[in-house]
Amino acid sequence: MKLFCWLVASLLLSIAAQAQNYLDCHFVPGWEQSGSKRQYTPDNLFDYRDGAAEGYLVFSFARMQGIDCKSGAITLSIDVSDMTDADSAYGMFAANRDPSQPIAKIGMGAQLLPQSLLFAKGKYFVEIVETDGSTNSNQTAALQAFAAKIEPLLEGRTTPPEELSWFPTENQVSARLVPESVLGLKILKRGYVAKYTQGQAFIVVEQSSESAAEVMNKLRARFEGLTPLLLGDEAFQVKAPYLDGVCVFRKGKVIAGYTNLSDAAEAAAQAAKLLVRIP
Amino acid sequence: MIPFFPKEGCAMSFKTSRREFLSAGIMLPVAGAASKFDLLQSPDKPDPKLPKSPIKLEHRTLGNTGLKVTSVGFGCMITSDPSVIERAADIGINYFDTARGYQHGNNERMVGAALGAKRKNVILSTKSAADNKAGLLQDLDTSLSELKTDYVDIWYLHSKDTPAAIHDDMIEAQQIARQQGKIRFAGMSTHALPKLSPWTVDKKAFDVVLTIYNFTVDPKLEEAIATVAKTGTGVVAMKIMAGGPHARRPDQPLNPIMEREGAMLSALKWVLHRPNISTTIPSMTDMDQLDENLRAMSEKFSPIDDKILAAHLDRIAPVYCRFCGECDGACKKGLQVADTLRILTYADGYGQFALARERFNELPLRHATSRCAACTECTVKCPHGVRVSERITRAQELFA
Repeated sequence: MKLFCWLVASLLLSIAAQAQNYLDCHFVPGWEQSGSKRQYTPDNLFDYRDGAAEGYLVFSFARMQGIDCKSGAITLSIDVSDMTDADSAYGMFAANRDPSQPIAKIGMGAQLLPQSLLFAKGKYFVEIVETDGSTNSNQTAALQAFAAKIEPLLEGRTTPPEELSWFPTENQVSARLVPESVLGLKILKRGYVAKYTQGQAFIVVEQSSESAAEVMNKLRARFEGLTPLLLGDEAFQVKAPYLDGVCVFRKGKVIAGYTNLSDAAEAAAQAAKLLVRIP
Repeated sequence: MIPFFPKEGCAMSFKTSRREFLSAGIMLPVAGAASKFDLLQSPDKPDPKLPKSPIKLEHRTLGNTGLKVTSVGFGCMITSDPSVIERAADIGINYFDTARGYQHGNNERMVGAALGAKRKNVILSTKSAADNKAGLLQDLDTSLSELKTDYVDIWYLHSKDTPAAIHDDMIEAQQIARQQGKIRFAGMSTHALPKLSPWTVDKKAFDVVLTIYNFTVDPKLEEAIATVAKTGTGVVAMKIMAGGPHARRPDQPLNPIMEREGAMLSALKWVLHRPNISTTIPSMTDMDQLDENLRAMSEKFSPIDDKILAAHLDRIAPVYCRFCGECDGACKKGLQVADTLRILTYADGYGQFALARERFNELPLRHATSRCAACTECTVKCPHGVRVSERITRAQELFA
């Protein structure tokens, strides 16, 4: 029995140690640690990220561990943030990536720029950024080398949130998690938004069909002059300030639709395409 | 010149208690109190382009800059939908704040796109956290590009909390930017104005200071604000909601209560009725928050607001750990009291139960096994009135 307990304890310690070992400057030859490792939690992230800390907190930030690595005059700052769950980690990545740049395949998604690499895997959001103030150096080789070492050490999902796959991909510019107030409406608490060359689509998954129906009632009360539609379980279209042509439908516990199209009928046509992609 | 003078009767000693500090508002006339709660109870009202009820915009002068800013500005940091910014600008809010570092630049990009042609009608500020001249100027060029503008009205050195963090070449960068017409005024954002105000006054480097300020702050901050305002420095207030929906810091566990009872508006009105504050930058993510915040410009801080905020302070006193350190080592069972209270706040204050349990389980095992009920008398006496054993027991019930 003692031996068994010892083995279990050793295994747990090993796992814990591995989890902490994703920060090591020696992962890449020629790089040395500069200063000590850092750790932040929701209560002191502000000390490190200033006002930008709020941007982490809205995505369920739990903790951050970081390290600075130096090679010659170049310093790379590596920070690994635990965002509580994979959806929030991907949401954080999508909020911080430049939508005009392509997504690379590291973890659930990555963005590699000359001086920074961001990626998300499982509940982790990773930032590797050159921080020495140099404005034109290209560190992509080092950034990729560190990411190649760190990514396998992080456990968790390597696919983006399923809801994002429901959005039509044609003419899609970006897709992201909105942690609160989708479309700027408080009643749409949390969901996904995909921007297109024309207009945007959104998806909100409620707890149940009943709660989704309640939200639909609130939405109908909010918009004036709407027209009911036969789409999904219930739907309407409307021309609204700031959202232009709008179509919103409910399918079970999913509320989704299109906005910012030239007219409501066009929004309804696009919404119909979205509807068939929602399982 | 002091940009905004308090109404007669608002002046008060800086040595008052927090409760008295709040109670200054009782001396103000009641305005709109009868309709206050009716308005609060209709969050799902139709959302036309402009509010149906008339909005009274209040403009104040931002120190010696001469800029006329709406007393309620717009902190864009966590705004995800540009429609909220567009609507705010259409309504007449004329001060918008962002920063280079927010969301790796995406926030500036979104603000630039949202303001579009309206940019010329508004006062726009951004910030850079770079720590040298080259980095700052590079950041500024990037900011201008992302914001789709030729200039920003106020450019802040981002989050400087000690004089040592502000180097001469950073101030030089601001001067160069001004000479080049890329900025109109230089500013500094800080969370430690009391440490910086003498230096700021002496250096005369900044036209505007952006400082944390809310109804829970130490009165020393009031003195620091008055000190810089006397020199004509414009003062912009941030973190005005004292732990509003997004400042989820353990030392500000007010969020759920404030959001539920509409105290966010009271907190904003409290800041606006204090002297020396030219404008504020509450974070806004949706139209409801915008509508509520707009009311702060037309409604006076009233006795009702005072009671709401005072009640919050009273209510949180038994649970509100100020992390003063007085309880360190005081528990004879060796429990880390402040850490446990902080963890409990994650669950009770922010609804982050899983995180709280995870943190609790990281504490030494005695935190789960040593029960307060086993002691005849608690050796931890919180000088701020936190009911320690009750809170520890609750943490154990939830997480152990």
